Amino acid sequence: MSITINIWINEERYEKLQKAGLASMAEEALAGLKVIKVPCTEEQKDKVLKVFPTAKYDSATTRSIELLPREVKDKIFDLVVEKQSMDVMEDFLKNY
Amino acid sequence: MTYIGHGGKEIVERVLEPEKAAEAIKGLTPVPIRGQIAREIIDIAYGFFTPLEGFMTRADVEGVCNEMKLANGVLWPIPIVFDISTEEINEKGIKEGDKLLLTYQDKPMAILEVEEIFTYDKQEMAQKVYGTTEDKHPGVARTYNYKDKFIGGKITLVNPPKINPPFDEFFFTPKQLRQKFAEKGWQRIVAHQTRNVPHTGHEWLMKGAWLSTHGELPVEKTLTGVLVNAIIGEKRKGDYIDEAIVLCHDVLRKAGYFREDVHLTSITLWDMRYAGPKEAVFHAILRSNLGLTHHMFGRDHAGVGTYYDPYDAHRIFDQIPEGALNIKPIRVLAWWYCPICGEVTYSGLCGHKEHSQNFSGTLIRSIIQDGVKPPRLIFRPEVFDLIMECAEKYGFGSAFVTDRYLKERNPVFSLPDMKY
Repeated sequence: MSITINIWINEERYEKLQKAGLASMAEEALAGLKVIKVPCTEEQKDKVLKVFPTAKYDSATTRSIELLPREVKDKIFDLVVEKQSMDVMEDFLKNY
Repeated sequence: MTYIGHGGKEIVERVLEPEKAAEAIKGLTPVPIRGQIAREIIDIAYGFFTPLEGFMTRADVEGVCNEMKLANGVLWPIPIVFDISTEEINEKGIKEGDKLLLTYQDKPMAILEVEEIFTYDKQEMAQKVYGTTEDKHPGVARTYNYKDKFIGGKITLVNPPKINPPFDEFFFTPKQLRQKFAEKGWQRIVAHQTRNVPHTGHEWLMKGAWLSTHGELPVEKTLTGVLVNAIIGEKRKGDYIDEAIVLCHDVLRKAGYFREDVHLTSITLWDMRYAGPKEAVFHAILRSNLGLTHHMFGRDHAGVGTYYDPYDAHRIFDQIPEGALNIKPIRVLAWWYCPICGEVTYSGLCGHKEHSQNFSGTLIRSIIQDGVKPPRLIFRPEVFDLIMECAEKYGFGSAFVTDRYLKERNPVFSLPDMKY
């Protein structure tokens, strides 16, 4: 199981995905709640945790980075939509 | 009525009557204390930490670190110490046999009888209590932050705290809580330890633990209760705000997810040490002093990072000699959402592991932080709405602890003015 950043999909985000023709990227994760899972390498995970100290890596349950500030998630989400790809963390972390 | 607590000792209460208190503190050397120590004074003075009557002496600390026992042989896993710097000792001329006036929020709080001034190797303390010397472990970091000397001795509360709203209706001393259980007719009470706003995984943990606890008792009367005991202490940025934790647990009953006569919410003041299995034993002791008969332990109880195996906190109870602890552990696995069963279900029963959808408190926080309302099967709408209300009312717009909350929040308790 690879490390991911879970971006939970509310209506606003789902609309953006639909407009970009990316709605199929969202997968059902929890009792019908949709999520997109942005993959991270081990190094990227360490950098994310260093740059955003409130974030936590849930190593036990989901192997995902959680509790990133919403505006950070929005930026990652916007990059996914712009690049039409989940593979955005390298680009995202260039700014930090 | 006699109330017997941990170690077979009577519940400790060390609170001086107001008319005697002013006289007793006259002329004593004042020593300001920080929040952790103030919270532990309240715990000692009202008997949450029975049989402790004060901060530990060196013999107690040694016993706790080496054998998980106090000097008198009673089971105890975590040192409760009063740290002080050599500079402060010298500056104030503090010596054994003195009495000190401990002050908090610039008000008198308690008398500390200086029975012993001692040093202890903090690295050794960390290794023996937490199983590591890495300062990334928050309990170890707390240990390393202690000043270089310790004072052991009895404390007496001279200025009982006023618990501020909304916490006031959830604070009960061990004696008050035992009276409450008697009024409710509860013969068995199971503890749910929490630092989280409840999702349905927590709700089902409590319901499962209630069923285990109730066991063979008759069903016509409510003889068994669930006590939610929220740990209120030092906060870290990103935690849920305390007000949301307590009020959201309480709303589970108010909204009918628990019957009125089986559920009660309460608080204990304590700064989590994240000592995993050792902290599980400490929580069991604490709740036995509150009068509980059973304590539920889930996955990775009081753990942090990967320092402990998720079920170390279960296994440690196998090593505790019979009779050393007057409370039964209820050991449980996680509850998960199963799309095949179409419900939140117990992982120890559900046969659809490959389809299971795990959820943790952290994951739910992440969803809420994303501004997304989780499905009601995962998170009760009443709880979600109340979180949002708490964010506005207590959290300066955030349900999670921020710098502003840390600086400007209303304190959990205040010390009244006192003339002396």
